[in-house]
Amino acid sequence: MSDDENRRRFELLVMPHLDAAYNLARWLTHNDHDAQDVVQDALVRAMHYMGGFRGDNARAWVLQIVRHACYSWLKENRPAERLFLDDADEPAHDIAAPASDEPHSAAMRKADRLQINQAIAALPAAYREVLVLRELEDLSYNDIARIADIPVGTVMSRLARARGLMREALTPIARPVLRTVARSTQAGRTT
Amino acid sequence: MKSHTDAQRVNAFVDRELDLTSQLEIEERMRQDVGLREQVEDICQLRKAILESAEYHAAPAALRNRMAGLMAPKPTARKQLGDKVVAMPRWLGWRPTVASFGLMAVLVMAVNLAWLRPSHDDRLLDDVVASHVRSTLGQHLVDVASSDHHTVKPWLSSKLDFSPPVNELQIPDSVFLGGRVDYLGGRPVAALVYRQGAHVVNSFVWPSTGNDSKPDFSTERGFRTAHWSQGGMNHWVISDVNVEEFQAVVRAIQLADRDH
Repeated sequence: MSDDENRRRFELLVMPHLDAAYNLARWLTHNDHDAQDVVQDALVRAMHYMGGFRGDNARAWVLQIVRHACYSWLKENRPAERLFLDDADEPAHDIAAPASDEPHSAAMRKADRLQINQAIAALPAAYREVLVLRELEDLSYNDIARIADIPVGTVMSRLARARGLMREALTPIARPVLRTVARSTQAGRTT
Repeated sequence: MKSHTDAQRVNAFVDRELDLTSQLEIEERMRQDVGLREQVEDICQLRKAILESAEYHAAPAALRNRMAGLMAPKPTARKQLGDKVVAMPRWLGWRPTVASFGLMAVLVMAVNLAWLRPSHDDRLLDDVVASHVRSTLGQHLVDVASSDHHTVKPWLSSKLDFSPPVNELQIPDSVFLGGRVDYLGGRPVAALVYRQGAHVVNSFVWPSTGNDSKPDFSTERGFRTAHWSQGGMNHWVISDVNVEEFQAVVRAIQLADRDH
């Protein structure tokens, strides 16, 4: 494949996903400078692999390469960060369903931007990436499985766990609250 | 408390990642189970909070420039571009570059459209199938049961922000059962329900912004579907009748609308 041809394919296939690539790298590395470097390295690598790309899902393909580059970077530069979860880490129980008197959703509404961003940043990387890919990139479980190189069942359990941890982080520490009056019913489709 | 697989299933339910049967099963359970409803509500609230507040880090301009720099043509070519006093033959050398930018823009748009289109239609198709199955499970076939379109049309118009075409179908074995309001692709639509022999036919209608189009037939999970635009309305029809009857139904709906 000629250089021009390569460049053209790169602009078509890869560049549209630059935002997604950077967003993932930024959430995984926690800082702008390194995220830029990692993305650049990853995309240069992508350019070399491009001849081999025959698939139809360029976004998942690009993010897979970027994610891999992020993990290499983390391993080298942030050895303290827990990257991989043993199976033992996968929860035997999920964070409890609502147990307190205050509905969690009420707590969630009160959580502010800063809290939410901090809570995401504090998640272990394996949960954080799944959450970011699902909520911020709106990717399917299948795509996430491919990008994070894990089975779909694991995407399902990690996402549930990630949300459980988020809920826990955003729920104010137990304190006496006035019992809330039953909320008006919001369930059900309007028909 | 729910077992952990259950919590995962509820999450997958909210993400619409369960197979149709499980999806409907949970919907059904939600009717009775307040705890389950709260769990679902909880996850939705969390998702909403994240979506509203979590920082989306778009690629900074610096990175974009760096990438563009990597892809830029060889330095010699760049010098030519920077040269202000350009001889005519050299100027001709620009044209492919300019043309390729234009072509690139068109290609990028085409690719985006090609990638976006199916996913939107797929999602709609999923909605159509789910809505059809739900209605045939006998839970909620029609809101207004009448074989008279003069009753059904005003009722639907009063519930919607448009007035759908409502007609009986002039084909053998067709019975008009009535209509209901349903949700497809996040908007309220009119659902007209017919019985064709022993089979239920759901015909969904809502305003379209596009041009008229011919019916596009497909089969999804054993159901036949067709969708098209006509007279400023989108139509999606779904049933499990055999292919000949289904085509007859679609034709009858088109004809009835045209003559209306």
